[in-house]
Amino acid sequence: MDRRTFISYNAAATVALTGNALTTFGNSAVAATRPAPIDFQSNLPAPGGFPKRWISGSSSCMDNTDPPVQVHWYNAHTAILRQNKAYSFEAPFTPLYFGNDRVLLLDEGFTTLRNDWDLRGVIDECIADWCSRNGRDPASLELLVAFSHLHSDHYAAVNQFADRPNTRYMGLTHEEMLGFWGMTNYPEESVTLDLGGREIEIWGSPGHVVSEFAYYDNYTQILYTGDMFYRGRCYITYWEPWFASMKRLIDFVDTHPVTHVMGCHVEISKDGTDYPYGLTHQPDEAPVQMTVQQLRETFAFAKTITEPGIYFTGTVFLCNQTRSTTTIDSNPYRY
Amino acid sequence: MPQTSAPALNPTASGNGNAALGYNPPGVRNTDSAVPLHPSEPVVHDYNSDGPAPGRLAFRWTYGSNVAAKNRDPRVQVVQYNEDSFVLRQNVCVHWEAPFTYLLFGNQGALLIDSGATANAKHYPLRETVDAIITRWGQARGRSKVPLTIALTSGEDIAQNQGLVQFAGRPDTNIVPTPLDVMKQHYGFRSSWPSGTGAIDLGDRVIEVIPTPGTHKDGVAFYDPYCQILFTGDFLYPGKINISNDRDFVTSLERLKTFAADRSPKWILGGHIEMMFVPGRYYPRFATYKPYERILQLAPDVINEVLQYAREIQGKDMLLIRPDFVLFNGVSPDQRTPVWPEGVPQINPPRPF
Repeated sequence: MDRRTFISYNAAATVALTGNALTTFGNSAVAATRPAPIDFQSNLPAPGGFPKRWISGSSSCMDNTDPPVQVHWYNAHTAILRQNKAYSFEAPFTPLYFGNDRVLLLDEGFTTLRNDWDLRGVIDECIADWCSRNGRDPASLELLVAFSHLHSDHYAAVNQFADRPNTRYMGLTHEEMLGFWGMTNYPEESVTLDLGGREIEIWGSPGHVVSEFAYYDNYTQILYTGDMFYRGRCYITYWEPWFASMKRLIDFVDTHPVTHVMGCHVEISKDGTDYPYGLTHQPDEAPVQMTVQQLRETFAFAKTITEPGIYFTGTVFLCNQTRSTTTIDSNPYRY
Repeated sequence: MPQTSAPALNPTASGNGNAALGYNPPGVRNTDSAVPLHPSEPVVHDYNSDGPAPGRLAFRWTYGSNVAAKNRDPRVQVVQYNEDSFVLRQNVCVHWEAPFTYLLFGNQGALLIDSGATANAKHYPLRETVDAIITRWGQARGRSKVPLTIALTSGEDIAQNQGLVQFAGRPDTNIVPTPLDVMKQHYGFRSSWPSGTGAIDLGDRVIEVIPTPGTHKDGVAFYDPYCQILFTGDFLYPGKINISNDRDFVTSLERLKTFAADRSPKWILGGHIEMMFVPGRYYPRFATYKPYERILQLAPDVINEVLQYAREIQGKDMLLIRPDFVLFNGVSPDQRTPVWPEGVPQINPPRPF
């Protein structure tokens, strides 16, 4: 099966067919135990909510008693996870989308070892939790372990899933990433992933790095923009591809309903103060979700940028080609 | 093997060699100490010594962990330099600044230099640790009362003044006031700031106070003539030196150079470590895992080097990398530079995961 057919393939049908080949009772047994599929296509967008405030570190890291991964159920079929700031200052956000046949995990945090940070255990728990609520067998669900872009704070824990049955994970090269979604015309091409009644639209979003995707979930209508647009310092490595990616996002929100625009990190306070790189305590953090209006305003602002430098748009910092010397602080000690 | 004769005195195990020799007080045996095990009266230690008093900083500093939340190192690491001098370090996973705090004893009392970056005594039990060291030291010396003086290398440095609140109300404690004017009065500087020197007498061990404004308006350094160590706080340390006023910084260094030429310190001990053990590389701000830290102690000729490069960058907003320190003059603490010092090898330390 090539990737193009795979992403729109009905995984449940495969399970039933294979079962049939082994035993004649297989098909009817599966049909008997399997509850009616969840309807992901009507009454959209599915309602859901973000927490009032996310867990965002503590003044002393070793005294942090928060869970290593904060699990927030946006709604019954959507979880949003966040790494604890005392486990990694990057503290990326991680959506987990459930469909009738598949589960999609986007981003795997900034800690490699399961001993140090057990993402795999938390994901297994979430899946078991969802399955028990919906009367499914966790083994029947395929897990897709993907990430927004090719940076280690988004894929560090990917190897924790290497031995997980019924799991496919994205490879750590540009080619493998495109191949995973069956793309041949990156970044313009948009593909639709079928999680079993729930569709995720995916297209290229380079600019922060070469290999990045935007993900749109048609059920919650959340647009997940990775590190190319998030509440904090958007490090723009390649301006023109980034601008073109922004244009694609704007074209998308012009033609599709979007409830929230969500990035991977938060590095800014509610009143617009920068939380410097590496900070492990962000007590007054801004929310992770942004509005379509904020995306449009940022694009309008970006149109006026002609030079490398750091620009504050009111929502995010656009760090245009400044990565190696990025600093928003001035010297606070001078007298 | 059967034991044939009574074991002879083992000079290694006894530490002091021949216990019969005059420099060992009666009752000393099988110990490194020159202090009797059960003193019947307060021990008066002789702080005169030829050259620097011996001491060791042989223990590796705790350096945090890649998952800061799981760190189980002591919150305050105590290293005994010698019987009358202690070096304390705050755990990197309690506060990334991981400042060093020094505790020195004399015949009349103790001096705590700096107070750490965390006020919360549950997270950073500095007071408790200092109290325990003082109690134990007092027991060894047969003293029930050891008055404590607390002095800061800078009252404005939030990486060094936070622990001060833990000592509020402590009996027998004298805290050097932190506002600049009151501090000057306390040391008797009045009009001689910053060219004069002050003194803190611990009893036969007189710690000299040298004004060193430059990284902070109210910066001072302390010189211990017993160990011949200069304590410089964040004015001079193996890390990112944030110059707040480059004119003050250069003149303070000039004074410090003259001072050091006169006293010939053995080592300079600063308030933090940010450099790695490869030249010119340093940890970024907020790092909670620093396995490749440089050692704390700086050789005294580093003063000349800092002075030379501080003069070079005076009046320019820039950062300058040297093998053992980095000077940040008026730029953000996150500033980076593509300029690498000439003749210094570029070594990438292995990257921990």
